[in-house]
Amino acid sequence: MTDLIVRPETPESRPDTPAVRGTVAPLEDSVAERFITTQAPQRPQSSPRIRIEVDGRVVEGFEGQTILEVCRDNGIEIPTLCYEPKLPGFGACRMCVVEVEGEGHPPISCSRQAEAGMKVQTQTDEVRRLRRTNLELIFSDHNAYCLPPCQNKCPSHIDIPGFLKQNAEGNFRESARIFKRTIPFPSVLGRVCPAPCEEHCRRDEVDEAIAIRDSHRYAGDQVIKAMLDDDVDPPLPFERSAPTGRRVAVIGSGPAGMAAAYYLLINGHEVTVFERDPAPGGMLRYGIPQYRLPKVEVLEAEYESVARLGGVVVCNQALGVDFTLDDLQFQGFDAVLIAIGCYDTNKLGVPGEDAAECLDGLEYLRTATLGLPYPGHAGKRVVVIGGGFTSMDCSRTSIRQGAAEVTLVYRRDMKDMPAANEVHEAIEEGVTAIFQAGPVRVLTDDQGKVTGVEFIRMQLGEPDASGRRRPEPAPGTEFTIACDRVLLAIGQGPELDWIGPGSEGPKATRNRRLQADAVTFETGRPGVFATGDVRVGAATVVQAIAEGRRSAYAVDAYLKGHDLAAIKTRQTLAEPDPIFLSIVPFTAEVKEPRYRLKALEAEERRDSYVEYEFPYSVEEIVAESTRCLQCTCEAIGYCDLRRLGIEYGTTLTTLEPRPNQGAGLRSVNENRFTGVNHDYVRDDSHAFILREPARCIDCGRCANVCAEVVGAACYDFMRIGFDTLVTTPLDMSLNDTPCVSCGRCAETCPTGALMPKPRVLQKYEVDESRCILCGICVDACPYDALRDGGEFELAHTSRAEPMIDLMALAEVDRETEVTYIRKERDWLQRAIDGGRYVEGSRVLKVLPARLSPGSANGGGAGDGSHAHLE
Amino acid sequence: MSLLKTPAAWPTILLEHAPTGEEPFAGLRRAVRELGPAGTIAEVAASGLRGRGGGGYPTGEKWRAAAAAATVPGAKTPAVVVNAYGADPTSLTDRTLVAENATAVVEGAAIAAWAIGAEEAVIAVRTGETAAIAALEAAIAAAHAAGVLGLDPAGIASLAGHRPGSARRLEIEVRTVQGAYMLGEETVLIKALEGKRGQPEQRPPHPTEDGLWGAPTVVQNAQTAAAVAWILRHSAEGFRSVGTAEEPGTILVDVRGPAGAGVAEVPFGTTLRDIVKLVGGAGAAHQVKAVLVGGPSGGILPADQLSTPYTYQALRAAGAHVGSGSIVIADERACVVDLARLLTRFCADEACGKTIPCRIGTRRLAEIGERLSAGTSRARDLDLLVDLADDIIGSALCDHERLATLPLTSGLRYFRPELDAHLERGECPAGVCHPIALAGAAPAAPATTTTSAA
Repeated sequence: MTDLIVRPETPESRPDTPAVRGTVAPLEDSVAERFITTQAPQRPQSSPRIRIEVDGRVVEGFEGQTILEVCRDNGIEIPTLCYEPKLPGFGACRMCVVEVEGEGHPPISCSRQAEAGMKVQTQTDEVRRLRRTNLELIFSDHNAYCLPPCQNKCPSHIDIPGFLKQNAEGNFRESARIFKRTIPFPSVLGRVCPAPCEEHCRRDEVDEAIAIRDSHRYAGDQVIKAMLDDDVDPPLPFERSAPTGRRVAVIGSGPAGMAAAYYLLINGHEVTVFERDPAPGGMLRYGIPQYRLPKVEVLEAEYESVARLGGVVVCNQALGVDFTLDDLQFQGFDAVLIAIGCYDTNKLGVPGEDAAECLDGLEYLRTATLGLPYPGHAGKRVVVIGGGFTSMDCSRTSIRQGAAEVTLVYRRDMKDMPAANEVHEAIEEGVTAIFQAGPVRVLTDDQGKVTGVEFIRMQLGEPDASGRRRPEPAPGTEFTIACDRVLLAIGQGPELDWIGPGSEGPKATRNRRLQADAVTFETGRPGVFATGDVRVGAATVVQAIAEGRRSAYAVDAYLKGHDLAAIKTRQTLAEPDPIFLSIVPFTAEVKEPRYRLKALEAEERRDSYVEYEFPYSVEEIVAESTRCLQCTCEAIGYCDLRRLGIEYGTTLTTLEPRPNQGAGLRSVNENRFTGVNHDYVRDDSHAFILREPARCIDCGRCANVCAEVVGAACYDFMRIGFDTLVTTPLDMSLNDTPCVSCGRCAETCPTGALMPKPRVLQKYEVDESRCILCGICVDACPYDALRDGGEFELAHTSRAEPMIDLMALAEVDRETEVTYIRKERDWLQRAIDGGRYVEGSRVLKVLPARLSPGSANGGGAGDGSHAHLE
Repeated sequence: MSLLKTPAAWPTILLEHAPTGEEPFAGLRRAVRELGPAGTIAEVAASGLRGRGGGGYPTGEKWRAAAAAATVPGAKTPAVVVNAYGADPTSLTDRTLVAENATAVVEGAAIAAWAIGAEEAVIAVRTGETAAIAALEAAIAAAHAAGVLGLDPAGIASLAGHRPGSARRLEIEVRTVQGAYMLGEETVLIKALEGKRGQPEQRPPHPTEDGLWGAPTVVQNAQTAAAVAWILRHSAEGFRSVGTAEEPGTILVDVRGPAGAGVAEVPFGTTLRDIVKLVGGAGAAHQVKAVLVGGPSGGILPADQLSTPYTYQALRAAGAHVGSGSIVIADERACVVDLARLLTRFCADEACGKTIPCRIGTRRLAEIGERLSAGTSRARDLDLLVDLADDIIGSALCDHERLATLPLTSGLRYFRPELDAHLERGECPAGVCHPIALAGAAPAAPATTTTSAA
C-alpha cells in the first residue's frame, strides 16, 4: 500500500500538477487513505492533503504539518536531538536542517511547515556537514563517557558491568548469557585470558580492580555444571535463526574457529569444523597446559555448546594434506573459513639452534599439556627463551615434569613481557627468570649435545612500533648458562604451505600472515575467508575469539547475499568505539579489597597438573561482583547523541589512533573544537529520576515537556552564553521542585542526562508501622505500580480525582499519553527486532548432540589418545 | 551622550520637532483623516523606508504582511511593538532619540498601530532608563490630551466614510524590559514582553503572522517610528529626496573614537570617512587603523574602507552591518586580534544558550581568537575559524550567532598580516597582546574605548 502513496519522480507525478490529481483520484476511497488516516491521527482528518517531494520521492502529508512530521509519517528519518513529538518544533539542536529547492538558507525541518510542491533534500553534503559540525560542537563540551574502560579495553567488548550486575544478583545463568553475546566460552576465557579489562578497572581508584576474569569463570562453570549434572542446555545469547540451508566449512577448531562456528550456527547455517589433530581445541588443547585449562572438565564441556547447536567437528583432517579448498567447495560448502592458527615456531637465527636438544616449545607443549612426561625431560637443566604465554607454559610445565632447573630468558624488561602477570607464579614455582638478555649461540659438544647457551645483555633503546623500548645488545656483556635442553618460545607464524594446487587464491602477506580483509575477512578467493591468528599472527585467546565472532558475522552477511563492501560501514557501526573520558574518581566508595581466588601453594602445584586455583564460593562471587562500580552510561544503546555521533563519524574519525600520535585521542570531547568544557556533579537525590548534567546537551526537551505537557516546570535554561544549562532553578534537588515524579523528562531525554531509576523502584519498601494509608503514593505513582498492593486497600477514596492539579492543567492527549518508560520498551522492541533478545520460554530446544563420529576417536583427549607421538 | 554637530547640508528627520504653532500630531491626523489604513501603508511603502533596527527590511512590506495576516479568519487583533530598548551597550542612538524626540516615537507607533488595525502599541524601554520612560509617558499624555489616543482617536468615528473594523481604540503603553544584548532580536523581545524565557524562535512564521501573544505583530525600531511620523507629517517624496535611491532617509549613528564621541543623524549613503570626521577621526596624534561598524557583532573595517557609503547593502558587502548604528574608531595603538577576541567573547557570553552552534560554536570561535592572542594557536586554527564561521551561519537560528562571526572573519579578511604575525612569529605588532609569555600576565588594555564598552 505504500506504493500507492510514494511515487517515483516522473514528470507526471510532480506534486500538485493536474495530471497527478487525475491519477491519484482513487486515493480518496482507497486502502491508502485509510492507511494514512489511521497512521497519522495527529491532524484532523479534514485537513487538506499536500504532496511534497523528499529526496526524489513524492510523499503525502497534511497541510499544517512540518517537513519533519511529513517525513516521519512516511518513514524518512531526519536526525534530531531536540524534537519532542508532543510539542511544536523547538529548533535548538539544528540537526534537522534540510535543503529546500529555491531557498538559499537551509531551513530546519521541525519548525518549517511543509508546502505543496516543496522539494526537500535531507541528505545533501551541505546539510550533513552542518550536522557533523553541530555534533562535534556538542561532543567538545560533553564531559561524559559511553563505555566503561574495561569494556572498551576488552578486544571483544564484553558487557562487563552487565554480567557483573547479574552475578551480584545471583543470576549466573543470565550472566553467562550476557557474556556469550560476545564470547561463547566464559569458562575457558575465565582461565586463560590475560584480562586486559582488569588493568583499566576504575575500582582501582578506590582500592583494587575487580576480578573480572574470575567472575565470568564462575558463571561459566555454573552453566557447565548444570549441563553436565542436569542436562540443561547452555543459555543462548540470541534467539536462533531459522535454518538457512547454507553450509559453512570452518578449518581449525581453535578459539577463533569454534567461536565463528558458534555464531554461524546461531544464525541458522550448517557448520562443519575440520580439525587436523585427533581432538578439537587447537592451541587451547595442545598449547595451554592442563593445570591452567582442564581439558575435559572445561574445554570439552564448553565446546559442547557448539555441538548442542548442531555443529559437527571432523578430526584428523588437515588442510593441504587430506583436503584442499577445491574439495570443500566441490562438496557444496557455500563458504569456507580458515582459522588454522599459528603453529610454525620462529627461528632464533643464531648458530647451534639446529641441535637435537634445541626444541620447538610448541612441539614440547603438545605432549606436555596432555599431562604426559616429555621424553627425557626429568632431571634436565632447561633454558626457555621467550617472554610470551608459550614461554611461561614451557617453563612451568618443565618444573612439573621434574626438570632439575628451569631458566627463563627474555630480551626485554619484565614489564614489557606479554605474560607479565604470570611470571610471578612461575618464579614462585621455582623458575629462574633473566631479563634483558638475548641468545648469541647455542653451545654444543662434540656429539652435538647441547651444553649451554651464550647470552648477551640487552640495553633498552628507543621505543619501537609496539611502544616498548627496543632491546639492543650491549657489547662485552656475554655470559653463558649451562643447560641440557633449550625450549624456543619466541613466537609463531602460520603454516601456509598448503597454498597451491587445489587451494589457489589466498595469499601470504609480506610478514607471513594469510592476507584477509580486517572487516570482511575475505581472502583472495571468493567464498573463502580467514580469521584468527592465521590472519593477525599469534595473539591472545580473547583476540582470537573476537576475530572469530566478527568473521562469523561477515560470513553470515556473505551467505545472505549482502554487499560485502557495504559491510565495512556496518561492522564499524556494530563494533563499540573507544569512547571514554576523564572520569571522576570514586572517593566516597567504601573500601573493600578484591576477593582473590585461593590457590594451591607453590610447593604443591610444582608436581601437579591439577588446576591450582580454587573457584569462588557463592558468597565470594556475589561480593566480588557487587564491588563493580557499574561505570557504564545508563543510556548506552538508546542514546541519540551516540547513535548520531557514530552515524556522522564524529566519534570514529576523531578517536581512532592515528600514526605517530600514540594511542590517539583519549576522549569524546577531544576533536577539532576542543576547548573549555563543563563538568557537572551528578544529582541522585531524587528517588526515581537520576540527573547527570555532564551528559546534558541543552536540547531543552525536558524543560518544554515538563512545563507544557506536565505543567510542573521543574527545569529551564539557566545561566547565559556558553554556561547555559537546562537544570532546576539554582540547581536544586528535584525533590525541592514541583516535580510529580512522572518520569516524562527522563523519557524524552535523548541522552543519559535524565534517567529513570528502576532499580531504586524495585527496592522501594514501605514502613507499614508509619503508613497512614493516605494513598498519596498510589496517586502520585505514574506507573500504577502501587495500585494492586494489599496495603493500600483504603487508598481508593482519593483515586478518582488526580492528586496533583498541575497534571489536570496540562492539555494531555490521553490517547498518546505514555504511561511507561519509552526507552525501556524501545530497547526491548529493538532487541527483539534485531534478534538480540531471547525470552526464556522462546528459546528453541536444541537436541543434545555429542561430537560427531569423525571426532570420536579423539573426543576424550587426556585419556591417552596421543597416537601422533608414537 | 552629546549630539554631534553635523554639516548644515545634512537634513534632520528623526530628530525634527514639529514646529510650535502647528497642530500637534499632524502626521497621525493626516493618516487617520486623509489616507486611511491602506493609504497610510501605501505612503510608508512609497517612502522606501527601511527598518532601522539593523535588518533593513522595508517597513511598508512588513505592515502589509501584518495587516494581511490580521484578515485571516481566526486571527487575533494585531499588535505593534516599538523597540526603544537599545540593546547594544556601545550605542546610545535609541536612547538619545527617545530623550530628544519622544513625541515622534509615540506618534510613529500610533500611526503603525492604526495602519495595521491594532488597538495597542507597546514601546519597550530599558528598566533603568527613567528619563526616557518619563519622556515617553509625557508624550503619550500629550497625545491623549490632543485627542489622538484613547477611544475614537483623532475623531475617527466622526469621519465620513469610516469603515467598520478599523481601529476605534488606540492605546500606547510603555513597557520596561530587563535583560540582555539578545533583546535586540525581535522574537526575543516578544518573548520578554510575554514574560517568557528570552530565546529566539524559528522564522518563519515571522512575527507579522505570529508575534506578541500569537497576534500578527509589527516589531519596529524607535527610529523607524520617528521616521514614519516625519513621512506622514511631510511626504514620501520628501523622504525619498534624502539618502540614496534604494535606502532613503537618515539614521542615527553613535560614533566613538580617541578624540571624541557622540550621536549624530546622518543621511544614508554618507561615507564612513565623513562620519568618522564628526568626532575628529583618531585625533591629531594618531591615525585611524580600523573602524568597528555595527556594534559588538560588527565588522572590523580597515582605513582604506572608509570610503564605503553607510548603507545596508554596502556595509554588508564590506563585511560589516548597520546593526545598532555603532561606529568605533580604533587607532594604531589597537590590536585587531585583541579587539576581535573581546568582541567575539562578548557575543558568546551574551548568547541565550538555545542553539548548539550559538552556545558552543561562538564560544569556540572566541577561543580561536583567544588562542591567537595568547600565542597558543593550534595548526589549522585559521581554517577552523573559516569553516566554523560558515557552519554557524549555515545552521543559525537568529542573527546573533550569524553576526557573531563578523569580528573574526572581517579581521581575517582585512588584517591577515597582523593575524599572521601573532600566529607565525608570536608577535603583536600593536604591542597589546602578549602572544608568547602569556602565563599570568594580564594583557594591557587596548588603546580604544571599545574594551571598556564591551
